[in-house]
Amino acid sequence: MNEISLTIDGRQVKGEEGDTVLDVCKANGIYVPTLCHKDGLSDVGACRMCVVEIERERRVMPACTYPAKDGLVVKTHTERLERYRRLILELILSEHEHNCLVCEQNGNCELQNLVYQYGIDKISLPINKLVEPIDDSSEVILRDPNKCILCGRCVRACAEIAGQGILSFADRGSKTIIVADLNWPLAQSGCVSCGACIQACPTGALTEKLARFQGRSWEFRKVQTTCPYCGVGCQIELNIKDNRIVKIYGVEDGSDNKGNLCVKGRFGFDYVHHPDRLTTPLIKRNGKFEEASWDEALDLIATRFKELKDKYGSDALAGLSSAKCTNEENYLFQKFVRTCFGTNNVDHCARLCHAPTVTGLVQTFGSGAMTNSINEIGDAACILAIGTNTTENHPVIGREVKRAVDNGAKLIVANPREINLCHFASLWLQHKPGTDVALLMGMMRVIVDEGLLDLVFIEERCENFDAFKQSLNDFDLDFVESVTGVPRDNIAQAARMFAVNSPATILYAMGITQSSHGHDNVMATANLAMLTGNVGKRSTGVNPLRGQNNVQGACDMGALPNVYPGYQAVADPAIRGKFETAWGCSLPASPGLTLIEMLEAAYRKEIKALYLVGENPALSDPDIRHVWESLAKLEFLVVQDIFLSETAKFAHVVLPAASFAERDGTFTNTERRVQRVRKAIKPIGDSRPDWWIICQVAKRSGAKGFNYSHPFDVMEEIRHLTPSYGGISYQRLENGGLQWPCPTDDHPGTPILHVNTFVRGKGRFVPLKYVPPAELPDENYPLILTTGRSLYHFHTGTMTRKVVGLNNIEPESTVEINPRDASQLGITQDDKVKVSSRRGEVITKAKVTEASPPGVVFMTFHFAESPANILTNPKLDPISKIPELKVCAVTVRPLMK
Amino acid sequence: MKKVDSLKALDEIKGRVRPLLAVREDLDYTKIKEAPQVDILVCRGTGCTAAGSAEAEDAFRDAVKSNGLQSRVNVVKTGCRGFCEKGPNVIITPSDVLYTEVRAEDASEIVERHLLNGEIVERLLYKDPVTGKSIPFNHEIDFYKGQTRVVMHLNGLIDPWNIAEYIAYDGYRALIKALTEMRPEEVLGEVTKSGLRGRGGAGFPTGMKWGFVHSAAGEEKFVLCNGDEGDPGAFMNRSVLEGNPHSVIEGMAIGAYAIGNVRQGYAYVRAEYPLANETLSHAIHQAREYGFLGENILGTGFSFDIDIFPGAGAFVCGEETALMVSIEGKRGNPQQRPPFPANKGLFDKPSVLNNVETWSNIPRIILNGGDWYSSIGAKGNAGTKTFCLVGKISRSGIAEVPLGSSLGYVVFDIGGGPPGGKRFKAVQIGGPSGGVIPLEHINTPVDYESVTGLGAIMGSGGLIVMDEDSCMVDMARFFLQFTKDESCGKCTPCRVGIPKMLEILERISQGEGKMEDLDTLEELASMVAEASLCGLGQTAPNPVLSTIRHFREEYEAHIIDKKCPATVCAALFRAPCQHTCPVGLDCFGYAALIKEGKSDEAYRLIKQKLPFPMVVGRVCHHPCEAKCRRAQVDEPVAIRHLKRFAADWALEHNVEYIPEIKEKREERVAIIGSGPAGLSAAWDLAIYGYQVTVFEALPEAGGMLAVGIPEYRLPKDVLKKEVEDVRKLGVEIKQNSRIDDVTSLLKDGYKAIFIAIGAHEGARMGIPGEDLEGVYEAIEFLREVNLGKEVRVGKKVAVIGGGNTAVDSARVALRKGADEVYIFYRREKKDMPAIEEEVLSTEEEGVHLHCLTTPTKILGDNGRVSELELVRMELREFDRSGRRTPYAIEGSEYKVAVDMVIEAIGQRPDTSLIKDGELKIGRGGTIIADPRTLATEQKGIFAGGDAVTGAATVVEAIAAGQRAASSIRRWLQGKELSPLVERDGYEPIAIPSILPTEEETQEKAKVRISEIEPKERVASFKQAVSGYSPEEAMEEARRCLRCDLEV
Repeated sequence: MNEISLTIDGRQVKGEEGDTVLDVCKANGIYVPTLCHKDGLSDVGACRMCVVEIERERRVMPACTYPAKDGLVVKTHTERLERYRRLILELILSEHEHNCLVCEQNGNCELQNLVYQYGIDKISLPINKLVEPIDDSSEVILRDPNKCILCGRCVRACAEIAGQGILSFADRGSKTIIVADLNWPLAQSGCVSCGACIQACPTGALTEKLARFQGRSWEFRKVQTTCPYCGVGCQIELNIKDNRIVKIYGVEDGSDNKGNLCVKGRFGFDYVHHPDRLTTPLIKRNGKFEEASWDEALDLIATRFKELKDKYGSDALAGLSSAKCTNEENYLFQKFVRTCFGTNNVDHCARLCHAPTVTGLVQTFGSGAMTNSINEIGDAACILAIGTNTTENHPVIGREVKRAVDNGAKLIVANPREINLCHFASLWLQHKPGTDVALLMGMMRVIVDEGLLDLVFIEERCENFDAFKQSLNDFDLDFVESVTGVPRDNIAQAARMFAVNSPATILYAMGITQSSHGHDNVMATANLAMLTGNVGKRSTGVNPLRGQNNVQGACDMGALPNVYPGYQAVADPAIRGKFETAWGCSLPASPGLTLIEMLEAAYRKEIKALYLVGENPALSDPDIRHVWESLAKLEFLVVQDIFLSETAKFAHVVLPAASFAERDGTFTNTERRVQRVRKAIKPIGDSRPDWWIICQVAKRSGAKGFNYSHPFDVMEEIRHLTPSYGGISYQRLENGGLQWPCPTDDHPGTPILHVNTFVRGKGRFVPLKYVPPAELPDENYPLILTTGRSLYHFHTGTMTRKVVGLNNIEPESTVEINPRDASQLGITQDDKVKVSSRRGEVITKAKVTEASPPGVVFMTFHFAESPANILTNPKLDPISKIPELKVCAVTVRPLMK
Repeated sequence: MKKVDSLKALDEIKGRVRPLLAVREDLDYTKIKEAPQVDILVCRGTGCTAAGSAEAEDAFRDAVKSNGLQSRVNVVKTGCRGFCEKGPNVIITPSDVLYTEVRAEDASEIVERHLLNGEIVERLLYKDPVTGKSIPFNHEIDFYKGQTRVVMHLNGLIDPWNIAEYIAYDGYRALIKALTEMRPEEVLGEVTKSGLRGRGGAGFPTGMKWGFVHSAAGEEKFVLCNGDEGDPGAFMNRSVLEGNPHSVIEGMAIGAYAIGNVRQGYAYVRAEYPLANETLSHAIHQAREYGFLGENILGTGFSFDIDIFPGAGAFVCGEETALMVSIEGKRGNPQQRPPFPANKGLFDKPSVLNNVETWSNIPRIILNGGDWYSSIGAKGNAGTKTFCLVGKISRSGIAEVPLGSSLGYVVFDIGGGPPGGKRFKAVQIGGPSGGVIPLEHINTPVDYESVTGLGAIMGSGGLIVMDEDSCMVDMARFFLQFTKDESCGKCTPCRVGIPKMLEILERISQGEGKMEDLDTLEELASMVAEASLCGLGQTAPNPVLSTIRHFREEYEAHIIDKKCPATVCAALFRAPCQHTCPVGLDCFGYAALIKEGKSDEAYRLIKQKLPFPMVVGRVCHHPCEAKCRRAQVDEPVAIRHLKRFAADWALEHNVEYIPEIKEKREERVAIIGSGPAGLSAAWDLAIYGYQVTVFEALPEAGGMLAVGIPEYRLPKDVLKKEVEDVRKLGVEIKQNSRIDDVTSLLKDGYKAIFIAIGAHEGARMGIPGEDLEGVYEAIEFLREVNLGKEVRVGKKVAVIGGGNTAVDSARVALRKGADEVYIFYRREKKDMPAIEEEVLSTEEEGVHLHCLTTPTKILGDNGRVSELELVRMELREFDRSGRRTPYAIEGSEYKVAVDMVIEAIGQRPDTSLIKDGELKIGRGGTIIADPRTLATEQKGIFAGGDAVTGAATVVEAIAAGQRAASSIRRWLQGKELSPLVERDGYEPIAIPSILPTEEETQEKAKVRISEIEPKERVASFKQAVSGYSPEEAMEEARRCLRCDLEV
């Protein structure tokens, strides 16, 4: 950037080429009033508040759009400018009747501030008293056009921040209004309720519906923390009044999300204050839960675990940790299981999502985490989004994908369903569920055949290429077309597109992993990245998108049966020795059971006691009827959660945990970024943070090393035992998150993995074979069921079903079915239907939609009333032990009307 | 079709087609019958098509066929010649005969009579609205004769759907020349040299614009044609697209070549122009077929194509950045510049946008050279500009003139001025973004700088003519309404500022304005103009600013006087007649009462507001009739005659109306002068009970009514009767009482004084010989005659002047025995200030009217007038009154033998009664008083009438008297003076609220009144014009449309 020099208000100031005059003013502390300008949005020069006088310009010019040039002479506060600004404010005030008394933005309104600043105490122009109807159709957003100043920030936020483009200007002149789609009520428009518009609005025209009259800006205490939903790790600012979260803003400065949030992140918080929150320990007596004191419950737990351990041995005990809990809590939990239970039987729900990522990427690259960073996605030249419904499940990353498309990137979507991203894609590969290996190998076959591979990269950085190349022989395009159902030309086109446009990046999620050959799927993506030299560079890589807020952290913290924190193998004696020394006890050498294996063992009565924190396998695991049976067989089950979940109902003791807003700690997001979680409110009722509870159970079980005054102490212990977290401290995190590996206090963190060398040394190509899904449609079960999540709910709905706005938007389960299948089955829109598999049946509502391809139906697993996982197949991937949640054979029948 | 691949191939087409078109330029009328080829050119532009030219075209084909003329007669559809008002237009060639308003049913008549018999069908010829003469030949019509057609030169001559006809007139020759003989830089150089400036409005030099884009970095650039013409009343671009689309295509292709790296052009044409879209689309298709568009044009390696982008009707999409984002598929909102389109235009690529007219100039510039083009027009303003001349104009249509032609040339020489002899007031130039240029600037050269200097803009060339019936406040309101609706709504100043200005204007036009509103308007307007994002907002205030600048007094009339002088702002008045009448007579009211047979009530209604109905009913210049809406049907209601009827009827039936004085007041008021102003003031003050004394210097009361107006117009007894009424009310009128000391009256106990001494002194010309015997001032002459003094009238009398005094003098001289009476007037007859009927009667009576001549010398013989030397005058530029200024033609002096000269060139008051410094005296010797309150700077002394205004009319003097009375009343009551005249104290008279019947609104001329035969008239001073009979009056009253009852 070239430095330039300007004269502003007689002062010599510096700027950079490409700056606007406003940029330079801001950088030099020169105040220029603005309304339509907002950092992070494009500038349009609409409000004209920022007009300045520029030498040699006949008219006054808006500072926000005027390019700063060397030698420019600018005046920002002449009598004329101030007169114009006052007039403009008067015009805005005269456009509507503004009533600050009951305005939500009172005290936080940019218009109010300017009017006050300019001391406009009366308006000489006639005021338009016309009252426009308020749009309150949305569950979460209230639009009051009477407070709208038509600055267009919401329009730009909708397009530029949210990537939606739902809001736009309509009509002309003084009739200009902002509309959603074709002037439809917001609820009937394509609005995804992300609320970016609210955050962008300078006045009270767009407000949080549920926050109305709940508090005014000066009454709020503001706490920055990390969103508790998906793995993107958006930074949010809680606005708190009287120990209650009233509203949430996206943090704009220094965060990956730059203020952007999805509907859940912005509006999905009121579960925290839901009356169903567990507020006291419960002990089941005679089949009924009774309230108990903490001492009573904790002592009972310590006693029972000790009894059972003594009776059946350590390996009859197991612990399930939680991807919703902090790093510190996961660390403590696995430490508790390993030191106190004396077993490695510890796992968590990563098993159901990204276990193959860890195994597959470790095998090929040496590290099972997202190779690159979120903010690089927008700059990619090509994106392959396979098995990820990004805009629904990782909306803020979905926005990055669209940003890349806006910047001219080629987007290849591989998905059986017509997801939103398909509409932005250069190419949509609609492959059959479970045929990812064939599809990817077919693409790689084309790349190799056409010589589009990165030979230098392969030569210098990789190994085992020849064997891999051999394995491509099985994948001629006729075969691939027949297996995947994707026309061979499209496969070839996708291959070329990916190989030619660099940097190219791969995004994937559960569509790749939740498969009986998920491990192979992951390795196929890794092979493709290596084949085209797309590893270790900006905007490239293999990027698994993590589902839970802290699933990465829970893995990092060793809530896995085979590794200690930092993926240090339990089987390695040296490492074990290190932890034995640190924790002051001996540790078991053999890896423990995985999640599904634990439940199987419970079914077989080999596991007798289970300590379960913040998980809900009774709804999330495949074939849940079997899970229920397993849980019922346990002699002692402790569940620690914020609500009485479906799983908690099986428990002997239930402990009330604090929500994310009620505790301190850290989460590690999908891009390996460790970020702070901050206690914003006092725990609800008698609930306690998980770290406190675990320590209490441990201490009452007689364990040592659980005397922590604060999660800070825990992190200090973590970083001393975990090389990749070595440089991560609370002090440093105050300045924003850090991406591991961050081994030392002066290490800046690692946005891109495998830069010069793979973590494992050379990247390893792995030859692959196509294996069909474990269960395919047949006469009795002619349809494939695939499962997933929706934008408006999260996981088993424990939280989102208790959020009024979200649950109103999507109150019930549906099964998506193609019109062709529906008509063959005599099903019409909204019919009640019964979906059956070999494992059971659920009743839900039909949603007839082209989004589902013929032969494939789709359900979410959020709804306890229609639990999709009754149907799913528990068949495991042999390596990663993930069940095949994405493919099972079902039939759908209409219920009698 | 084989592509044209060389100049030779082009020449081959030209060589083949041009001879076939020769007939169209053949002006020889004589050979029509035996002409081997006849082309019937039917205009198929939008205007003519809307008027039915498609049907006419078919009818011509049928008629040609049924007469077996197919072999030699072609029916050709052409584009628009810009004379749409008269459409459908059909031209028969050879001979260039223009038929206007041709219906399908006229076709066979034209074919049979004109083509077969060689006779012109008179009834379908164009009749000049100014001269009223039929003009058979297109090229002889003044409208066309005054034009210089560069852009429009092929419009109406060629078939726009046939590319070969364009080629026949050297079409695409310029493109071939550019591509094969010139480097791009040379083309650029030629365009720069031509001095062509953007015809879209801003006038940015085209060569410079192209140069910017030529040198901007970029592998992909665009040329764009702005055909989004959206100004109300502008249609010149449409005409070019419809009449000569290939010139635009060729221009764009040349531009693309010159600019470089341009492969694609877009023509943004508004979708409301279906025919233009269709024609251009067809032309593009043909150009591709012929190889003028497409890949590798003429084998030169240059590739270029054009697509049409139909605009969806938003005015703001004519703004260049908005137009570009609109093509990109986004909402057509303007974008802040910089960056400029030359660097970041369409799809962020360097782009040139020119409008239709600019592009269509290019081929001829390349063909004829930049020097040729720059030789047309003015320095810095090369070439021609097309204007759409519309509004209150006799000949409307597209006028193409060299830049720098005067506005008056366009409006009067080409357009023939406002129709119906109305006074020209202003033009709105540049559409809603433009401003008004008033009469006083009528000589302004129309060029970019001059127009901008007057607060208007050239714009795309909309020229809306306004006459005396156009209200400037309303005009500003209209255009703001337009820009308010067409604002994109993006930036605050434009979106909110314009509606707020509009609200203020609406307030003003409803009589609710305040003077501060003008300041607010100006403040808002300047902010909106300066701070708005795009040209729309920046120029939208122009109509407001320029009307305030040029017509401030009209705003003040609305705000202070609650008057709309043009009688447009309907909220301010009940009916135009009443609003226009200086004393606000309820003309519709007495018409309605007369119609009902209630003549006595009609009389009372009149007399309540006018103490002299019989006088005014005879001599008024009746401005009411000029605004009468009945004129839009046929002719105005004879309001003055109805008034006279009611007054005469009352006299005849001994109906007297002397209002009752309800309360006697002690205060005494002195009025100096017993003319209409003085007596009217006396009347009003007396009704209020004040003690009024009127001092009259002359032996007769009545002022000018008594000594200025000849008896044949105003019989003495009529005046006496109405003066008597004033006395009956209790007013003391002292004749032969000259006042020499105004302030002494105050000492005498008068609490207020009204000076209404009139203007009784004649002005002199200041030429040699004025002191000769037999040279009179007209006013002196008339006074002497009126007072019965012996005046020696010559045999050959010359009257100098054109006003009522001149006319009266001439007629009096005739009646006093002159053999020959001449009126010498320096301008044209239509410019004479005298009442038109009077001029007419004067001529009837045998007075010789000599116009465009002025005396230079009075020659004498023995101290007596013997000869008058005159010089002939010619009219040149317009003066501030909107008339052309007369100039003496050197060497054209001539002499006329006369023995009497009456100079009637103006009057001034005799202010000798005012002591030095007592009151201020202004130009023309008039007394200075506040025009609204008539207060002088001396407390208690008021002045009005001719003494203040200079010679004016009777009814204006009466109004002044009433205004003075109102002010004196307020003064005596210790109230603040007001510009609004308060007159009450009369019993209400009910006016029937019955709308005219359907039949009464049908066309019907006014009832004529009888006049004594001229010969008989001149024999005596007997009243020349008699009044209506009751039946006639009722019949005439029925013509009133009762505008007052309109909702």
